[in-house]
Amino acid sequence: MRGLALLGAAWLAGSAARAAQGTRELVVMAEERHLTAWSALEELARGFEAEHEGVRVRLLPLGGAAGSQDKGRFLLAGDVPLDLLRIDVTELAAFAGEGALVDLAPFAAADPSWDAAAYFPGVLEPLRAGGHLYGLPSTFTPYVMYVNEALLAELGLARPRADWTWGEFLVLARAATADTDGDGRADRYGISLTQWLQAVAPWVWQAGGELLSADGERARMGEPEFVAALSFLHGLLHDERVASFDASFENQLTQGLFQAGRALFYGPVGYWETYRFRALPFAWDVVPLPRGAHAATSIAMTVYVVPRTAREPELAWRFLRRMAGEPYQRMLAEIGNGVPGRVDAARSPSFLAPGRAPASEAVFLDVLPEARFLPPLANWRKIESLCQSELEGILLVPDTDVAAACRAMAERTDAYLARERERGGRPRLPPGVLPAAGALSVLALVALVLTRPARRGRMARREERAAWALLAPWAAGFALFLLGPALVAGVLSLCEWSPLRALDDVRWVGLDNYARLASDPTFHASARATALYALGSVPLGLALALALALLVERASTASALVRTACYVPVLIAPVIVAALWRVLLEEDGPVNGALRALGLAGPAWLRDPAWVVPAFVLVSLWSVGAQMLVFLAALQARDRTLEEAARIDGAGAWRRFRHVTLPGLGPVVLFNAITGTVAACQVFAQPYVMTQGGPGDASRFLVLYVYESAFLHLELGYASALAWALFAGLGVLTFLFLRASRRRVHYAARAGGGPA
Amino acid sequence: MSGRLPRALCLLAVGAAFALPLWVVLSLSLQAEGTGLGLGALAPPVPPHWENYGAAIGRMGGFARLLANTLLITVLSIAGQCFTCSLAGYAFARLSFRGRDALFVGVLAAMMLPEQVSALPRFLLFRTLGLVDTPWPLVLPTVLGGAPFFVFLFRQYFLALPVELGEAARLDGCSPWRAYWNVFLPLARPMLATVAIFTFLATWNDFWAPLVYLLSRSRR
Repeated sequence: MRGLALLGAAWLAGSAARAAQGTRELVVMAEERHLTAWSALEELARGFEAEHEGVRVRLLPLGGAAGSQDKGRFLLAGDVPLDLLRIDVTELAAFAGEGALVDLAPFAAADPSWDAAAYFPGVLEPLRAGGHLYGLPSTFTPYVMYVNEALLAELGLARPRADWTWGEFLVLARAATADTDGDGRADRYGISLTQWLQAVAPWVWQAGGELLSADGERARMGEPEFVAALSFLHGLLHDERVASFDASFENQLTQGLFQAGRALFYGPVGYWETYRFRALPFAWDVVPLPRGAHAATSIAMTVYVVPRTAREPELAWRFLRRMAGEPYQRMLAEIGNGVPGRVDAARSPSFLAPGRAPASEAVFLDVLPEARFLPPLANWRKIESLCQSELEGILLVPDTDVAAACRAMAERTDAYLARERERGGRPRLPPGVLPAAGALSVLALVALVLTRPARRGRMARREERAAWALLAPWAAGFALFLLGPALVAGVLSLCEWSPLRALDDVRWVGLDNYARLASDPTFHASARATALYALGSVPLGLALALALALLVERASTASALVRTACYVPVLIAPVIVAALWRVLLEEDGPVNGALRALGLAGPAWLRDPAWVVPAFVLVSLWSVGAQMLVFLAALQARDRTLEEAARIDGAGAWRRFRHVTLPGLGPVVLFNAITGTVAACQVFAQPYVMTQGGPGDASRFLVLYVYESAFLHLELGYASALAWALFAGLGVLTFLFLRASRRRVHYAARAGGGPA
Repeated sequence: MSGRLPRALCLLAVGAAFALPLWVVLSLSLQAEGTGLGLGALAPPVPPHWENYGAAIGRMGGFARLLANTLLITVLSIAGQCFTCSLAGYAFARLSFRGRDALFVGVLAAMMLPEQVSALPRFLLFRTLGLVDTPWPLVLPTVLGGAPFFVFLFRQYFLALPVELGEAARLDGCSPWRAYWNVFLPLARPMLATVAIFTFLATWNDFWAPLVYLLSRSRR
């Protein structure tokens, strides 16, 4: 034990020493999805170090896992010194607007070897807003359509021409849609659709519509062209019924419809899928999107930017030039990371490699003239998340009023844009207030003690000193890491602040955030979903846990085995549990398969607004083992004489349980009810992984909404207000529980009583 | 016994219901890349593709070091949490001091505080202290007894021990610290085990804090 502690101390000291070393260091937050790309980057870094005396390049992986985008935001928010950061171009405008990025134009002007013409002209455009230069491209991709060649051949259909239309698309899609296993439901579709904003935008542009006005001050989502575009999409899914969704493009466990030969087309989607499909044994290719009234498609791009916190912006520019230079870009093209931003690398055999799938790789370059970025006017991740619930409603719910949903999207976006415009007029919060609020926690603890009457007597004073000495480590942690931050959050809830801005740019808004809670439909939906989930999962969980505890109470091998089976799910990380159940609850997944075997038609659990909360309740019931264990401990510690007496008096099993055992468990039930409610109201990992709050707002539980408000919407003030509202709600609930239980819960009057 | 068969059937059904999802993961993890989902996932993977595990570990990179780091952080957290929380629980249960009850109400309230309320201000704090990208933000809050729930558990446990125990120690001239270390802590073994298990699970399963605080490849 002591050895381990020493080891730990040495390790901590070592890491602190490493952090303190003061050579010129270039910190690069990069991407590591492909190990080859990573080692090439490492090689690039070593070469750079060799040429620059005394410089060390530290490469940090963003990590391809869930939350990697959020990590970049966290780094910017945390003012962590960082010289280069990889972000998505849709985030660039928001970051630059918040003053979070360094303008590279002066470096470019001073660099004789810089040649903007080496890049595709359109690709630098979103980086060059207002004469600035906010980064250089890594790779990009226009959105295209993937086609399952094998299925095309099997159905005897002709390959679409490069300038095909939606009319021609519909003919092919209808021909592909079929019920192949004869169960009366279509299980092969014309297209597996993607469903995020950038994938939907091409339809809007093709119809002549726009998402925002040219000055970025007004949403145009309520306009007829926009409505027409989304009605067409809605029609493909629910009238023509030739479309479905790919299970999930990032879920490696599930099998996409497209790869399984159950969708003829897949898209609109970018180049990144080629990397995945190349590893799979089926014939596929890419084609441009069909044309509407206008030709248009989206572009996605990853760029490297220099954050405000950079210590070596000049070195960063030089390293950036390497990363966006020809050799490295060619290498990225060879790996299949995306279309290189440099024209020479993209036109080279590294990208257009003969013999490599897809055969029509040049399509990615051919569609460039008609490809567009989302206009660099706003925080697109925020607009996307504001519109997500309506968008999902349009796509997933058959009888949605598309025009009304589009108007709602426009209203939400307009409200956000108006708030953005107002921000500049708000008073700044003096810089010392937030640390002061944190320090207040310590003062509060001290004041709490000093305001009580002092106790008399030498012994009492000695005991008091001893008590505080024992409490000290915990009290320090409590004040520093819980109470203080909570108070800071309380002050922030009265402010408007984006975590991307500097800490001296916090704006005071008074009670506005709380007033907004009253009129925010998402908050209402969120509170409703959370209440429904708690109402479902807590009583059912208690009943199931108690039933299981009674069932496995006896000492036998079978009981022990079942007890273990029930407890193992508790040992699995919530994120893994969520990923697992996302697979199990797929429309054609094992759960519905089992139900079908029983002759029941299972719902589309996670895609049906009516079934998504019950689905989460089901998942919560699988992890009921912890509560079972608490009940089990109480059952085994109970005094059996009363039950024995009741049995002798002729009471049956049920009456013994109902009138003797259950009342005896009162305190434990109360304990489990309170902790269960608190846990249910704080559910986060499951919806974060399984549904991201959808469909609509049906599973946007409160804590998920808090998280989204803080890191997607970048409204830390509003997020703090939400969190405090949740805290207050839980406080009231607990108080009510305790009040209601006062008469019903009986505590045994013996010293070594139950656990609570 | 008439209830024997129904009980056995119940046990079987419950065991199967809880174990099946686990079986599905195991089976999926051993299936060939690109095998379908659906009821097929319930069938045993023949032949088992053990190489999937090698591939997954390879994709993570430096698996042994990642494991060692997680273990070290976990061990430090468990030891620290058990120590500080039992100390505080003991003080709340067995010693009287000014403001004790008010402070304990604070502990109860903090149990209801959503993690997200304090998460970002806490991040700003560690940033100010310059401790981002060190293991401290993962270790310090737990070592200093971050979870009020455990203080609550220890207090309840110590309260339930006979009053005479503390009295006897005091008459023998034990200081509160000696009474804690030599009398109460050894008696709290079941509770220590419980808290250790809970802390182990919480630390091991923590997804968010390492993601946010540990940036360098070598430290994850």
